[in-house]
Amino acid sequence: MAKISKDKPINIAIIAMGGQGGGVLSKWILDMAEQQGFLAQYTSVPGVAQRTGATIYYIELFPKHLATKSKQLPILALTPIPGDVDIVIASEMMEAGRALMRGFISKKTTLIASDHRDYAIVEKQIMGDGRRELSNVKTLSEETAAKYICFDMDKAARDSNSIISSVLFGALAGSDALPFDRAVFEETITISGRAVEANMRGFSAGYQQAQTHNTNKESKSKEPAKSTASKSISPLLNRLNDNFPPHVRMTTLHGLQKLTDFQDPAYANLYLDRLEIIKALDSPEKHWHLTNEMARYLALAMAYDDTIRVADLKTRSTRFKRFRHEVKAEEKQIVNVSEYMHPRLEELCDILPNSLGKFLLNRRLLSKLFQKGRRISTTKLRGFLLLYFMGRLKGIRRKSMRFKNETTRIEIWMNEIISICPQNYELACELSGMQRLLKGYSDTYERGLHNTAAIMQAYEGFKHQPQAANLLSNLKGTALQDEEGQELAKALAKTSPLIRAAE
Amino acid sequence: MAERSFHKEVQDLKIGDGEEFRGEGILAVTKALLQSGVAYVGGYQGAPISHLMDVLADAEDILNDLGIHFEASASEAAAGAMLAASVNYPLRGAVTWKSTVGTNVASDALASVASSGVMGGALIIIGEDYGEGSSIMQERSHAFAMKSQIWLLDPRPNLPSIVDMVEKGFELSEASNTPVMLELRIRACHVHGQFTAKQNKKPAFTLREAMENPVRDYDRVVLPPSNFKHEIEKVEHRWPAAVKYIKDNKLNEFLGGYKGKTGIIVQGGLYNTLMRALYILGLADIYGETDIPIYCMNVTYPMVDDEIAGFCLDKKSILIVEEGQPEYIEHYINTVLRRQDIKARIYGKDVLPMAGEYTGQVLTEGLRKFFGLGAQKLLAKTAKPRDAISVKNQQALEKTVPGRPVGFCTGCPERPIFTAMKLVQRKLGNIHVSCDIGCHLFSILPPFNIGNTTMGYGLGWSGASAFNTQSDKRTISIMGDGGFWHNGLTSGVGNAVFNKNDNILVIVDNGYSAATGGQDILSSRALNKTKTTNNPISKAIAGLGIKWQRSVNTYDLGAMTKTLTEALTTSDKGPKVILAQSECMLNRQRREKPIRNKMIKDGKRIVRSRFGVDPDTCTGDHACIRLSGCPSLTIKDNPDPLREDPVAHVNNDCVGCGVCGEVSHAAVLCPSFYRADLIYNPNPWDKFRASLRNIIINSLQARGDKRRAKHSFGEI
Repeated sequence: MAKISKDKPINIAIIAMGGQGGGVLSKWILDMAEQQGFLAQYTSVPGVAQRTGATIYYIELFPKHLATKSKQLPILALTPIPGDVDIVIASEMMEAGRALMRGFISKKTTLIASDHRDYAIVEKQIMGDGRRELSNVKTLSEETAAKYICFDMDKAARDSNSIISSVLFGALAGSDALPFDRAVFEETITISGRAVEANMRGFSAGYQQAQTHNTNKESKSKEPAKSTASKSISPLLNRLNDNFPPHVRMTTLHGLQKLTDFQDPAYANLYLDRLEIIKALDSPEKHWHLTNEMARYLALAMAYDDTIRVADLKTRSTRFKRFRHEVKAEEKQIVNVSEYMHPRLEELCDILPNSLGKFLLNRRLLSKLFQKGRRISTTKLRGFLLLYFMGRLKGIRRKSMRFKNETTRIEIWMNEIISICPQNYELACELSGMQRLLKGYSDTYERGLHNTAAIMQAYEGFKHQPQAANLLSNLKGTALQDEEGQELAKALAKTSPLIRAAE
Repeated sequence: MAERSFHKEVQDLKIGDGEEFRGEGILAVTKALLQSGVAYVGGYQGAPISHLMDVLADAEDILNDLGIHFEASASEAAAGAMLAASVNYPLRGAVTWKSTVGTNVASDALASVASSGVMGGALIIIGEDYGEGSSIMQERSHAFAMKSQIWLLDPRPNLPSIVDMVEKGFELSEASNTPVMLELRIRACHVHGQFTAKQNKKPAFTLREAMENPVRDYDRVVLPPSNFKHEIEKVEHRWPAAVKYIKDNKLNEFLGGYKGKTGIIVQGGLYNTLMRALYILGLADIYGETDIPIYCMNVTYPMVDDEIAGFCLDKKSILIVEEGQPEYIEHYINTVLRRQDIKARIYGKDVLPMAGEYTGQVLTEGLRKFFGLGAQKLLAKTAKPRDAISVKNQQALEKTVPGRPVGFCTGCPERPIFTAMKLVQRKLGNIHVSCDIGCHLFSILPPFNIGNTTMGYGLGWSGASAFNTQSDKRTISIMGDGGFWHNGLTSGVGNAVFNKNDNILVIVDNGYSAATGGQDILSSRALNKTKTTNNPISKAIAGLGIKWQRSVNTYDLGAMTKTLTEALTTSDKGPKVILAQSECMLNRQRREKPIRNKMIKDGKRIVRSRFGVDPDTCTGDHACIRLSGCPSLTIKDNPDPLREDPVAHVNNDCVGCGVCGEVSHAAVLCPSFYRADLIYNPNPWDKFRASLRNIIINSLQARGDKRRAKHSFGEI
């Protein structure tokens, strides 16, 4: 009988995306281990890894002295095996999910994961919100792993002006999962000699947070306060607090702010007028669901995105501060900004007085002028003044063609809600959400209008049927599935027999 | 110059007797070649052996000192033909490529050199791209070895074994006058480990000596009657000679226990995985100590009949661990046992999966099945399976965790080509697109979803050659510059000209063989001290007789869209080629970043551009993402509490290529995109203008702030 030794290797799997420095991290671990008298084997499947794909780097460490004692070399594996991985390092939360899925995380595993998200293209390309639900990945990680160290390492890297791989290396040190102390880790970074300061900053950030298992706190939702509001606003706030139930106040307050910012307090007051009509149809038993929905969608409908709005937002001081911060401009550094705009004749006519707008709209020659995209530099005087004064056209907005059109649209939409609500509350709620289809500008916006019209036409056919609410919500869903509107077309085709049945 | 530089690592190639070498498997192979006195090396890059080519390129000084000629071959076929040098002369040579694709391309030359037979050792190092992370069709190189009678080495995946096999491979080749393949699986190529080095050897016989004293032997030429002689030589002389060498030098290993009725036969390359599986089952320790007899085949072709017979003689059940299909080894072993009437029952693909990589998990399950059928005693001894994740949770995760396919890099110049095609398709309807091999193949993935077939490297246009008939629509074929020089020049462009093709070829001219790691090619713009570059593709295709050709800067989305539309709609008959030109961004950044940072340090005026999105004008439709798919163009929470959908966001990886801006213009999207030009070390004029502007802009903005402050909601 061969005598079976109990010696074990330390198995480490690193799951990262191309460009996140998984290779660098692996190299550090290798150098450190070999320097500390370990035999180290490392392998990965790079190939096209640097081209953004998810990659698994696999390391096995084995104490040299054991090998010398038994006068044999260990046989190290080249792939992680479910249930046999001691340390899993995931550079992003869904990658931790991948490790879970493949069984790399077990009762013996220390899991070090960054809980930030780096969205995959399948999540980004969706017309609505395609982001995947994280919660089960997080809970399963916590349940499955022996030790679970998880915080936003991407943020830690940004805050320490470093890279995530050094934060992960620090977290590994802080997890005490390897038999080396902090100094050894730091020495490894120093010896590697590349961007030492930056990596050290990232490392200690990771180390600290790993030692003090910190978890991100949930921010509490704030209650609207009456204090220190200006004279023009307090009546609105009073009306809000007197006439609206707490359920809907927060959303309505956001609505008031948006519309005051979009136009003026009077416009915000009109919003309250409209919302009160809805509220009158609603009730506590329904938890004011419809009112809450309308508080959101009515505000969005009334604060439509016209050229005036865009020009106004683009020229604000707050916006200038924001882009300087976003592009990481240094203090006092000169930053020139050009806006990529493509105003068509339609957008111009939108903001002109109704009759003039209508007149110009079908002037062929004129539209020729509006076929190319324009780059307007808001940091240069010509561009800035152009947009600044366009933003000031707020004053005549109420006379504009677009304002007329939007008002009619809103009134038709509201009237339908009001008329259907008494017989089908759920349907009324679904109806309020139709606004979600109206997004973007020019072509995108028109696609929204087009889809809405198509759906409303079908709606007329089925609105008196019991399953009308479901039908409408399905149609809304499909409208957001593809740009070409193929899914919606299919769905509409499906509903038409129902409609005929109804007739 | 390639993406990854090995200038530091190649110094390790100089180390001498007894010193410890630590590094990547591929680097170890290079060292082994130098230790074996090789006279010439060639090959074509491709994962997993790209690094081998890059290492050799970076090691050219060292190679020259040893009098070794290194050639970055035009294709695997060219590399394979290079072995002809070993037919008439005692010259040791090695070539390398990605398999099986590369072996497909080389097989014509391989068949010939295998027929002629070799005098000097001829070694073919193939990187087997099979299993996880593979980017090619899943096949075995084993078939090529069998059909041309080339010996196949499959060493245990640790550096000492691999290095030893390179050296023995040359001896085996010379002992049996047969070229030898050394098969390295993808992880073995990249495995980091250690081995004890030997002194490098200059070739005993040099290329120069051969060229100055040519030898001709008619028996070595593949032409009747020699070709018939060759076949007889193969079976009567070369095969037995090989078997004798393999036995005498114990290339295959008898490991584990020597008693017992149950045994395992394993390909050398899978030995570590097998041992880990047995370790997990509690039947072996980490050093490979086990009671189960194991026959480890470091040579998988030819197989040694009496080694096999001897191993199986006293056993009841044998498991054969053989990756991939068909199961050639299992077939052969069954034949051997039947011929010698040995009773042992052979298990293999009946307990292990027919297809797919043999990972530790697969082998653990397979072994358990095998023990269950052929060795209950052992099954009783095996440890309980470790607790992984429950099936229910796994299924839940499969729904949640998004796939993360590879894609175009940030700022990639190939992306706008497919954005343009998507826009053109909106107007002219969908088009049949024939793809090629290279980064551009990522067009088949979201968000572009463009491309119908891919037939092989440089075969993009011939992949659509059947569609050369009267039709209201034209087809578009894609080809990279790498694929163009590899063989697209003849099989694509030449073929189209000769057959009066009326369709369109887009050649992605980014200056490198980008997908394989940015190696230089004939048309590279870079100057390369050992190669001739700057041979424009436009001249080459003009020479072939292409009349309709346009060169477009890929980042100019408008021009790209216009040119594609023209090509699709023009009344001109005949083949149309669009040269889509822009340097590979990965390589460009690698070249420019250090220079830019230095200039900024030195106080030179530099303007750096990057893009951004205004979250308050973005409405979260993500049309921009569907037309770009740039990794740095992502999404984040909508700052507006009333809006539910996330807004687009440009992260700090942005290299300012400008495509997102171009897209929002070309597709008339939204006004949210802005380009920010950050000025480093501004000159007085910059400063003067800026201060003047700021005075006016700030004052107007202050007025705006005041207006809004009049309607403040207070502390909320």
